[in-house]
Amino acid sequence: MKITFRIWILIFFITVSLIAIFGVPPLFMEKGVSITFVDKNSTLFEKGLRQGMIINGINDVQINNINDFEKQFEIFSDNQSHKLTIKTKSFEITDVFSSDIENQLLVENIAPTRIKTGLDIRGGSRALVVAQNKTLSDSELSDLISISQERLNLFGLTDMNIRKASDLSGNRFMVIEIAGSSPADLEELISKQGKFEGKIGNLTVFSGGKNDIPHVERSGQMAGIDGCYANQGGGEYCTFRFGITLSEEAAQRHADITGNLSLSAENPEYLSEKLDLYLDDSLMDSLFISKDLKGRVTTQISIQGSGAGKDRTEAIKDANLNMKKLQTVLITGSMPYKLEIVKLDTISPVLGQQFSKDVLIAGLFGILAVSVIIFIRYRKIKVSLALLVTSFSELIIILGIAALIKWNLDLPSIAGIIATVGTGVDSQIVILDESRFKTESLKLRIKKALFIIFTSFATAFVSLVPLTGALGMIGIGAAGAGLLKGFAVTTLIGISAGVLITRPAFADMIKQFEEE
Amino acid sequence: MRHRRIVLTKIMEEKKQNNEQTFERGTTTKDKFNSFYNQHYKTLLLIPIILIILSISFIGYFYFKTGDFINRDISLSGGTTITLFSDVSELDLQNTLTGKIPDLEIKYVSDDGGKPSQIILITSQKPEEVTPIIEEALGYKLTDKNSNLEFTGSNLSDNFYKQLVIAILIAFFWMAAVVFIIFAQKWKIKILALVLNLLFGIFLGKMFLTMNFFISLIILLAFIISIVFIYVKYSIPSFAVMLCAFADIVMTLAIVDLLNLQIAGAGIVAFLMLIGYSVDTDILLTTRVLTRKNTSVNREIFGAFKTGMTMTLTAIAAIGVALAVIYHFGTVLNQMFIILLIGLSLDILNTWVTNTSLIKWFAEKGGKL
Repeated sequence: MKITFRIWILIFFITVSLIAIFGVPPLFMEKGVSITFVDKNSTLFEKGLRQGMIINGINDVQINNINDFEKQFEIFSDNQSHKLTIKTKSFEITDVFSSDIENQLLVENIAPTRIKTGLDIRGGSRALVVAQNKTLSDSELSDLISISQERLNLFGLTDMNIRKASDLSGNRFMVIEIAGSSPADLEELISKQGKFEGKIGNLTVFSGGKNDIPHVERSGQMAGIDGCYANQGGGEYCTFRFGITLSEEAAQRHADITGNLSLSAENPEYLSEKLDLYLDDSLMDSLFISKDLKGRVTTQISIQGSGAGKDRTEAIKDANLNMKKLQTVLITGSMPYKLEIVKLDTISPVLGQQFSKDVLIAGLFGILAVSVIIFIRYRKIKVSLALLVTSFSELIIILGIAALIKWNLDLPSIAGIIATVGTGVDSQIVILDESRFKTESLKLRIKKALFIIFTSFATAFVSLVPLTGALGMIGIGAAGAGLLKGFAVTTLIGISAGVLITRPAFADMIKQFEEE
Repeated sequence: MRHRRIVLTKIMEEKKQNNEQTFERGTTTKDKFNSFYNQHYKTLLLIPIILIILSISFIGYFYFKTGDFINRDISLSGGTTITLFSDVSELDLQNTLTGKIPDLEIKYVSDDGGKPSQIILITSQKPEEVTPIIEEALGYKLTDKNSNLEFTGSNLSDNFYKQLVIAILIAFFWMAAVVFIIFAQKWKIKILALVLNLLFGIFLGKMFLTMNFFISLIILLAFIISIVFIYVKYSIPSFAVMLCAFADIVMTLAIVDLLNLQIAGAGIVAFLMLIGYSVDTDILLTTRVLTRKNTSVNREIFGAFKTGMTMTLTAIAAIGVALAVIYHFGTVLNQMFIILLIGLSLDILNTWVTNTSLIKWFAEKGGKL
């Protein structure tokens, strides 16, 4: 068979797509673990370790996968510090690390391909958030996104995507997508306004955020669990404490307000009013103010709280979580608006892997079923093979482009791919049958086939565009806040690749078979 | 050698001519079928017409009974779905939860071996209202390791639904517009159809369902009537394609309602996929019949039928096999594939009876592209 120009184009795109999917050198040949998170305040970060890097050795032991990695980290189970040498592909780090390292560095097995799957397949959470009783402007939505981003980052979540979305009716949403496991209290974390205020009487001394609280202690001596106690009704509770630093203005406000207070009548060691801490307008804690602090500009304040559970381990876990949440809202400040989660989906990662495998099997069986029918109909190995190769190449090109534009393949996207490969087969059948019709010249017949295919393409194209949100200017936004965009995107990629690349090449192949 | 080949070709051509002559004269079974078809193809149109009327009546009845055209699932009507999949075999939630959570629906899903593998709890309540009650009944916390949670607020789900319906409407009309623009003859009319469809899109996007219901309904009908009128008057083939896609959607919807399938957003998108598949075979048929040279209409129809059936059957086979493999996961792909299978099967009828009869009628009267 002669390789015509159109077939060369097809070969070129298949090659590019394969590179986009598997990388050079192929990812599945790579050994090691890929870093998904490095705490910015850690030594690891200072020494140059970043997200996306690949660790392939620890202490002269070759690391091939996540099990090897975890085995090396077992030494930290004694809660002591240990010396480690971490090797990446380009450099190595040697230092003494405390057991904190387990929270500062997260890794995963290297994915065999660059294809990203969506939340509904690999598991994760997605929330659609709106402001209560208010339509947000574009810049307001941007502010909201940056605060949410910071909050979630502080929680150690990095594999996430926060974006704006709007729908057909002009509603604006913040879409938060977190891949993999998500924190138990995700709902609270994103929808709580997190308005934190320290008040004496009715006067606000400070509120959360960098203006009033430039620094919040998060680890070390100044932050942690104070002690644990038995609860009267059973179970245990633990208290935590962490320090915050007030800005000079906030400290001055504190001095001005306490300057006007008298000593408490019942307990003359303290002032008459307490420092009340409010979170989202509900009283969280009341701190006595020592008489020494009256009128003094003080920048160091200790914040306390507690957590409970049915045993000590659970109580400590709860207290730590509560501390982290409180630190988070103190650092990021409050959300500018009251928020409402209008859609929340948490999909377990458990089903994901099996599902991905089964989708592949489903695809293979689907193609097998098609081949059987094609072979029964045409009884020509060469023709049937050409058709199958073309269908496969369409699939590879869609996946390649999806990997290239980093599209997350979710269930609607997979439905789109199936639809495209299905219409692809249809178009090839049209080409085949047209070329077998002997009443007109071969050139004319192929031309007619391509006309039919182009008409089908044009109709499919216009019917999909409304789902993508590309028609925003005439009031047709992406339906369903773009949650079904995946379907439209993969189908559009597929049918365009089909009409421009694979089907013309297939027509050339068939032309040659017919001429033979 | 060369000489022999020429002789062979000549013989084959003669054979073919003979074939074509017998084809026209009508002596074999094939020809009997031909003459029968020539006589009755218009009568055949009664089948789809009756089915369309039945379908519309049933959808109307369904709307009257349930207040909606389809049985919307929680993602389109608002509420929470919690799917449990750890140690669900011994749970009896029905007794423990009934009465505690209003309008709770419990579904049990079995794996391939018939063992219960998932319990699906569906309620119109919000997750924060129901999870504590469910956790208490289960005796453990719900996490992303042992369950899925899906919640959609009722305002949002209503919006989703409306938007998807609008998207389907736009897709349907624009698809037809493309067919019209490609198949119609006069430029002026093509431009008119283009402008009309763009205005229709803007109306659907910006005004429909946001203004007074009756006014928007009247404008909607005005658009539809004028568009359909233009197609009928200036391009019967485009009208036939549109009618066929419409029949596919209406009949499929009636069966979906009859089976009382719960439909999510993805299920509505499946109708969009259906339009795509439906149009493919119609365009094939129309092009084959109306651009034919030196052959009879029936011959072209039969050729197109062979091609079109191969297309539809491969699609049905591929989707059927895929559905069988992934069915037990209970994802939205199930309903998409089921809707497609129903729709593709009906498309066989609508393409090869509805559309074919109209195209034949049009071609016999001398219509060409």
